[in-house]
Amino acid sequence: MIEVLTGIAVLSGVSAGLTVLLLIAEAWFADYGECVIDVNAGERQYKVKGGSSLLRTLSEQKLFLPSGCGGRGSCGTCKCRVLEGGGPILPTETPYLNETERRSQVRLSCQVKVKENIRIEVPAELLNVREFVATTVRITQLTHDIRGLRFELPPGETIKFKAGQFVNLVSQPYGDVTESTSRAYSISSPPSDNRALELVIRLVPNGMVTTWVFQHLKEGQPVTLIGPYGEFFLRESSREIIFIAGGSGLAPIRSIILDMIDRGITHRPATFFFGAVKRRDLYYVEEFERIAAQHPWFRYKPALSGDETDHPYERGLITDVVARHYGTLDHHEAYLCGSPGMINACVKVLTQKGLPEHLIFYDKFS
Amino acid sequence: MKQTPELDRIQARMRPGVLTMKGFLGTDPRPLADILAEDDAAVRAAGVTHAQIADRLEAITRAGTDLMEAETIVENRFRVVVRDDRGLLPSPFGDGRFSKGDTEVTDPVTGRTFRWNGLTLHLIRHHGFYNGKGSDYRLDPAVLIEVFGIAPAPDQT
Repeated sequence: MIEVLTGIAVLSGVSAGLTVLLLIAEAWFADYGECVIDVNAGERQYKVKGGSSLLRTLSEQKLFLPSGCGGRGSCGTCKCRVLEGGGPILPTETPYLNETERRSQVRLSCQVKVKENIRIEVPAELLNVREFVATTVRITQLTHDIRGLRFELPPGETIKFKAGQFVNLVSQPYGDVTESTSRAYSISSPPSDNRALELVIRLVPNGMVTTWVFQHLKEGQPVTLIGPYGEFFLRESSREIIFIAGGSGLAPIRSIILDMIDRGITHRPATFFFGAVKRRDLYYVEEFERIAAQHPWFRYKPALSGDETDHPYERGLITDVVARHYGTLDHHEAYLCGSPGMINACVKVLTQKGLPEHLIFYDKFS
Repeated sequence: MKQTPELDRIQARMRPGVLTMKGFLGTDPRPLADILAEDDAAVRAAGVTHAQIADRLEAITRAGTDLMEAETIVENRFRVVVRDDRGLLPSPFGDGRFSKGDTEVTDPVTGRTFRWNGLTLHLIRHHGFYNGKGSDYRLDPAVLIEVFGIAPAPDQT
């Protein structure tokens, strides 16, 4: 018995000793010292301690590349060009990089370890992305599965964004979810309301972030928002505007319409088609009806595709409603926000009506 | 099939809270290799392939796509709703991201309900993975083969 106990003690001692040796070795050999990250040919330079991923290191310097998985290498969105010093492409990156990207030195920043000086190139607009710790001041149940959230920025802080852009909302650990996770949500409030942000979030069954929003987030709670991101915004032109959205895709369209009012853009007729299945899926109806009553350039066309008949709205799929509404589309442009399926169907209808694809703008969130 | 270190890493990513809230394994305590082997045996025994099963389910999804979540009847039998959730789910096998909008199917003949999304179909087609037992997304291949009438391709008989 004593021999067994002695054996266990010796084995434990040896294991502990080896662990300490490994930790010392890691600290010694994996000390990459100070490294310089050069961004966009000297536009920014960061002196950093090597050893972490490029994504994390940049976020510590407040340069936030978009990331949908928090750096786990599973979403493929944190891409940037690594022109020098990133080492070879890792097997964990290859599924997310096409041949053109590989040739252009595009990498997944979460998989690139900062071990030496690095030169990178990122889209210029990312240099304006900021992190905000805001307070949840209002949670509104808009439909049975959609909530509106309003977050106030800290006193004195403002956010500058284009109507139609999105932010990443960072959830906190809960239940089995042991790490923070972030997801992209379009801003639904107008840029003039720059001391706060409003989002519209639909509950996704088993969704990691939406479950946190619906079951854990309370009014008064602080949240982290990172943004703004995105290329979905109103283009300058005199063309008539067709807005089409479904579900939470209403959010950026609302921001754009409220922004048009704020900026006095009254010379462009605009029609907003909002597709839903049942009456219970409609929201912000009174607000858009009020806008339509007050602004002759704006028309609001909600449509229900379910079998309810006791309503004053358009009936049928939103694509059919749009098709019924227009003849040839020769002086229009369209802004779409919804699922890939909805957008594909709408693009098909609009192009059949003569609208060139380059005048159809959308954010598939895919 | 042997539970390799690579399968260990994949199985770790399948745990609740890593890639999805509830994970991919449900209450199934078995090593991933055993889960894959059992389902693969069921599919082989029926003389069909994982790709055939994925194709069959994908065809049902296509029939309900572009309807903005309106329910539709497919093949005069299945009640189908395809949810329009935006965004993508990463594969635990590390080979891409796939649509997260669920296809919800009710079969009035058997009373069974089924649920899958773009990721589920990818996992079936390329990895022969049907989720662990007890998972919300578990699809028993033998049941799929029976309910959706998946027969061996002529050149496989």
